[in-house]
Amino acid sequence: MKKMYLSLVAGAGMLFSVQSTSLAQGDYPTLSQVTQRLQAISGSGSTAQLTSLTKTEGGKDIWVLKIGKGDLDNKPAIAVVGGAEGFHVLSVELALQVAERLVKEHSQTLDNTTFYVFPNMSPDAYEQYHATLRYERRGNASNVDHDRDGRLSEDGYEDLNKDGLITLMRVESPMGDFMPLEADQRIMVKADRSKGDKGNFMVYPESRDNDKDGRFGEDLKEGIAFNRNMTYKFPIFTPMAGNFAVSEKENRALLDYLFDQWNVFAFVTFSPANNLSAPLKYNAQDAKKRIVTSMLEKDVAINSMISGIYNKTVTQTAFNQTNQGTDGDFFQWAYFHFARLSFGTPGWWVPEVKGEDGKSNTNAEANFLAWAAEQGINDVFVPWTSIEHPDFPGQKVEVGGIKPFVMHNPPYAMVNDIAKEHTDFIIQLAEMAPKMEFQNLKTEKLGNGLTRITVDLFNNSPLPTHSEMGVKSRWLQKVRVDINKEAKDLISGDKIKLIDKLEAYENITLSWIVKGSGSVDIKAGAAHTGNATLNVKL
Amino acid sequence: MKIKNWIYTAALGAAISFAGINTASAQVAQDRYFRAIGTPHNPKVQVSWNRYHTNLALEEIMRDMAKKHPNLVRLESIGKSYQGNDIWVLTVTDFNTGRPEDKPAMWIDGNIHSNEIQGTEFTLYTAWYLSEMYGDLDFITELLKDKTFYIAPTINPDAHDYFIKEANTQNSPRSGMIVLDNDGDGLAGEDPFNDLNEDGHITMMIRKSPTGRYIKDKMDPRKLIPVAADQQGEYEMLGYEGYDMDGDGQVNEDGIGYYDPNRDWAWNWQPDYIQRGAWKYPFSVPENRAVMEFVMKHPNIAAAQSYHNYGGMILRGPGAEEDLGTYNATDIRVYDAIAKKGEEFMPGYRYLVVYKDLYSVFGGQLDWFYGGRGIFTYSNELMTSYLYFHQNAGRGNQDEQMKVDTYLTFGDAFVNWEGYDHPQYGRIEIGGFKKNFGRLHPGFLMEQDAHRNSAFTILHAYHTPKLSISEVKEIDLGGGLREITATIYNERLIPTHSSQDIKYKIERPNYVSISGANVVAGFVVENEDFNKLHEQKINPEKLEVENVSGMGAVKVRWIITGGRNYSISVDSAKGGKASWEK
Repeated sequence: MKKMYLSLVAGAGMLFSVQSTSLAQGDYPTLSQVTQRLQAISGSGSTAQLTSLTKTEGGKDIWVLKIGKGDLDNKPAIAVVGGAEGFHVLSVELALQVAERLVKEHSQTLDNTTFYVFPNMSPDAYEQYHATLRYERRGNASNVDHDRDGRLSEDGYEDLNKDGLITLMRVESPMGDFMPLEADQRIMVKADRSKGDKGNFMVYPESRDNDKDGRFGEDLKEGIAFNRNMTYKFPIFTPMAGNFAVSEKENRALLDYLFDQWNVFAFVTFSPANNLSAPLKYNAQDAKKRIVTSMLEKDVAINSMISGIYNKTVTQTAFNQTNQGTDGDFFQWAYFHFARLSFGTPGWWVPEVKGEDGKSNTNAEANFLAWAAEQGINDVFVPWTSIEHPDFPGQKVEVGGIKPFVMHNPPYAMVNDIAKEHTDFIIQLAEMAPKMEFQNLKTEKLGNGLTRITVDLFNNSPLPTHSEMGVKSRWLQKVRVDINKEAKDLISGDKIKLIDKLEAYENITLSWIVKGSGSVDIKAGAAHTGNATLNVKL
Repeated sequence: MKIKNWIYTAALGAAISFAGINTASAQVAQDRYFRAIGTPHNPKVQVSWNRYHTNLALEEIMRDMAKKHPNLVRLESIGKSYQGNDIWVLTVTDFNTGRPEDKPAMWIDGNIHSNEIQGTEFTLYTAWYLSEMYGDLDFITELLKDKTFYIAPTINPDAHDYFIKEANTQNSPRSGMIVLDNDGDGLAGEDPFNDLNEDGHITMMIRKSPTGRYIKDKMDPRKLIPVAADQQGEYEMLGYEGYDMDGDGQVNEDGIGYYDPNRDWAWNWQPDYIQRGAWKYPFSVPENRAVMEFVMKHPNIAAAQSYHNYGGMILRGPGAEEDLGTYNATDIRVYDAIAKKGEEFMPGYRYLVVYKDLYSVFGGQLDWFYGGRGIFTYSNELMTSYLYFHQNAGRGNQDEQMKVDTYLTFGDAFVNWEGYDHPQYGRIEIGGFKKNFGRLHPGFLMEQDAHRNSAFTILHAYHTPKLSISEVKEIDLGGGLREITATIYNERLIPTHSSQDIKYKIERPNYVSISGANVVAGFVVENEDFNKLHEQKINPEKLEVENVSGMGAVKVRWIITGGRNYSISVDSAKGGKASWEK
């Protein structure tokens, strides 16, 4: 793999100028602004090194920032991932700011922890936020026949009302299965036919039916979504997922890279999936199946503990946070297929707004519009307006709806505080990393040049060295204990000992009888726990 | 001009001299050889089918085939292995009759598992047999006009030669040459086998011990046999040849590989803790990726065969019980029809289903070919001990194998026990069966088994779809309108689209097009007798037909005006092309 290390020409002066740029900025950054900010905090003299893992089909870099000090590869590491979904532009800004804050404000954390920041895994889709035609895009630039009819992307979105946004269209029809929401007539909801509701609109994305198959916007002009292309529960042959898992350059490059980084003990993914405001649930049946689909019991307990810390650190109260993973996504992959602790949060969600009756809106869109109104944000809805639609001659067709992006990404002015809180959370997570220590060293002279060494290996961390899933996986190294004495001088005790797991605050007593004088070195740990070393005088 | 003349003269000269050689060799053959039925007795490419070939020899033979049969055999590299070796594919077809990619095709590969090298010889035999018999046998000539064979003798060239050239057991290596950390100690490949006696084979280590539970059989001292529960033994088993290289108290615990290239495919792929041997993600093994890319670029592949060893099996999926629903009754009927016929002419081979008759496999190659691409695929486990004495003694039957080595191979298969001073175990003995015995065919059994397995793939390839426009009816509807009804017939067992293909719309539909007329409306006929039609409103001149089933037909209909001399064509990814003109 071609690795490109970018070193920055300018030094510290540039760091300040970029910070002021980011503070002055009024909107989420463009791709080139993201790159500039990454370059600004990396390079020679910085604790951050910037590498391009690959270029996407659309020719965009997939960046990784490796941040740390000293022996980076042998300190426990956290991987921070942004841009798992292209429309979730907040996640890119959050990953970026976490990186910026780590480099500028949390240097001491880097003494013990290494960070990998993948700021944007969907740059092709991300670009749509700043494009002349704006819509919530997930797919990259690959050519994909989403509806598998032998015609390529023949039914993409179409900006029928020429407002530069893709929203919805509704067609008035006695056969329609949608109706306006009672509480807010702008919102279209599916008619509940079990309650005798009939419906009077058909609702589609703003599009045409070019292939006359009766479906609208079913074969988009975008490719595979990063967050649908991973191996866990891969939704094969469905739109945005493709013919096989990890088919895309960015997915492959990320995985090839991660499989070489043995020190990652936890992931924090900024994406719609959330197991931080509430932990994943344990399902004994699914956990015991051959193909495991429930987080394992002990790991749910870890998730719960970390979730508690998240909720203490992040001020926003959970609301409508029901997405705990979707098929083929990255967040679940990191746990179920890569066996690392995996935490995910959207970073922000639409807060709960209670009506005059003290009840909250059960409809998420109504809740959003109520919140926007409360905040004085008026520019979030395209009013329903009639257009002529060539596929519905003579019928009343209107285009309108909530504007793209606004339900997933808060106004940019709110982002700094969100990023600061999430950085604080990540710092706390770093402080909890598995930590190897030697305690209670004893050396006893047995006479005739023999010494018995006894020492406790202690995991001084609230986290185990290996989660329950981590023990099952071969992609975490075992804790390895080495003593630098030749086998002939070891009367008893292992020259190399592999330990499957140390629980939180667990200790294991190690003992050797050694022949000879001088001193010996003992070392214990794994890449993702860091190493403890001990020099013992005989 | 001068140069042109020179080329012409040289070419003429070459042609003459070739003709001379041909005549001469035909004469030589006539004077010396009498044809044995079933075998090319005077082949253009000479190969001995009773030995194994290294990559060097394979390449020489394949180049020779391409050179001697320029209109039948072409050689291409479809990618590079981990160590940079070419992965070769032979395309075998009549290049003078249609484009190879327009014909229904059969994919055949061997040696995905490194030690299973007879698959390489068998695929090569198939290419050789087809190209040598073309023009000699009508059946083969027709077959190569209709079909394309893509033949990859080894899809694992690195470890193909590593198995042959370096010291190995009968079972090692299974993977390619990527070295992983097998024991989780942070080091990769730090403690492989050691060929202590330097004979090129990794055999067994035994040691005399008062607590050993084995003795050498007095009747046959090669055999180590267990003693009864209440008897004292003489020997203990120490495992395969090796010593503890890294000082962790274990021997041979971290050698080449670990991963299994046949757990790397993108249908129902699962990670290592569920499916041992899986690597990072589907097609993370570079050799498999090259095969995948070739298959994706060749949608005409309608049938596939991969070769393994051993046990005498014709296997089909599913690899895992969780995947039972993928293989539905319609497709299983096709699988059964071909494989049951194969059982008849491959004595000792049984038709089995991987998940229930063998063991569970997630991410196996045959499941991706079928589940992921809708291709009817078998995996044959080559070599069965049935071939020795026509008895079913089972896999790894020591008594039978000793008998083979006594009466048929006269000691060639066994390394006799010899003393050795081991750095950790002290005085030991080393011996046992060689790496090229047991799972691999002995030379004298290779050619016939290669032929029978080739015959099986030929049967399979023969049954890929063959489409024809068997009937066109025209009815004058008056008012300048005519109704054209065409019957598209599939003369073979395999449908243009397997049920799996249809379920996920893996391959585009078949296109049946009419040209030279104005099409007013177009239909796929569901029931001609009662005029049940399915209209295609968009582009009715190019009708989309979901499937033409095996030995079945589909009727299509157009209402047209004008154009007395219209023509009809069929374009099917897996079913080839057919046309009809008025």
